[in-house]
Amino acid sequence: MKNTIRVGRAILNITQAELAEKVNVSRQTINAIESNKYIPSTVLALKIARVFQKQVGEIFMLEEGD
Amino acid sequence: MKTRFLFPHKYRLIGWVLTIPSFVLMLLVMHADFSLSFLQYGGNSILGFDGEKFLFGIHRHNFTDEVGSLLLIAGLLMIAFSREKEEDERTVQLRLESLLWAVYVNSAWMMFSIIFFYDTLFANIMTYNICTPLILFIARFNFVMYKERRTLKNAGL
Repeated sequence: MKNTIRVGRAILNITQAELAEKVNVSRQTINAIESNKYIPSTVLALKIARVFQKQVGEIFMLEEGD
Repeated sequence: MKTRFLFPHKYRLIGWVLTIPSFVLMLLVMHADFSLSFLQYGGNSILGFDGEKFLFGIHRHNFTDEVGSLLLIAGLLMIAFSREKEEDERTVQLRLESLLWAVYVNSAWMMFSIIFFYDTLFANIMTYNICTPLILFIARFNFVMYKERRTLKNAGL
């Protein structure tokens, strides 16, 4: 699964730490999601989408092999 | 996310306070026949036990090893299963992965020991096995968490 969190953060001009705080997880978790090391739960994906005011599908998308 | 069945974060410190002395105590018990006299029940026997196998049948026994191993297991459980300061869904995943890893490694070690070690050496290894799964888990989980923090630190530079 790919994601566009880094782009979304750049648009809102917030750091990983700030995003982490908004969705109530650790910075490590946001970092791991951005570097495709961790796939967030549906709840966390929805929360991140809410911060960016976008649909989940615009931020997280399936890759070949998923 | 709510994590169930975990101790509060501050229990980790209590865990270390329990574990370190009881680990040292158990090493002394196992390898130096050490016993604490105030944990002696009934008179001293030369054999150390009177042949009874169940708690309510014994007439004399030294409970140093019982008390020591109970404290050791309790302490290790608190270190192993205390909540992280920043607990989230990824911590849960890393914890469960580490637990799986620890069980695999411990089982592999047990199979190896069953094949290659005999008699008292094997009995000693089995005794250590009271706490090796927890120790393996603690080592692995903390290593993984350390690596996570280091990755973040490097990414921040």
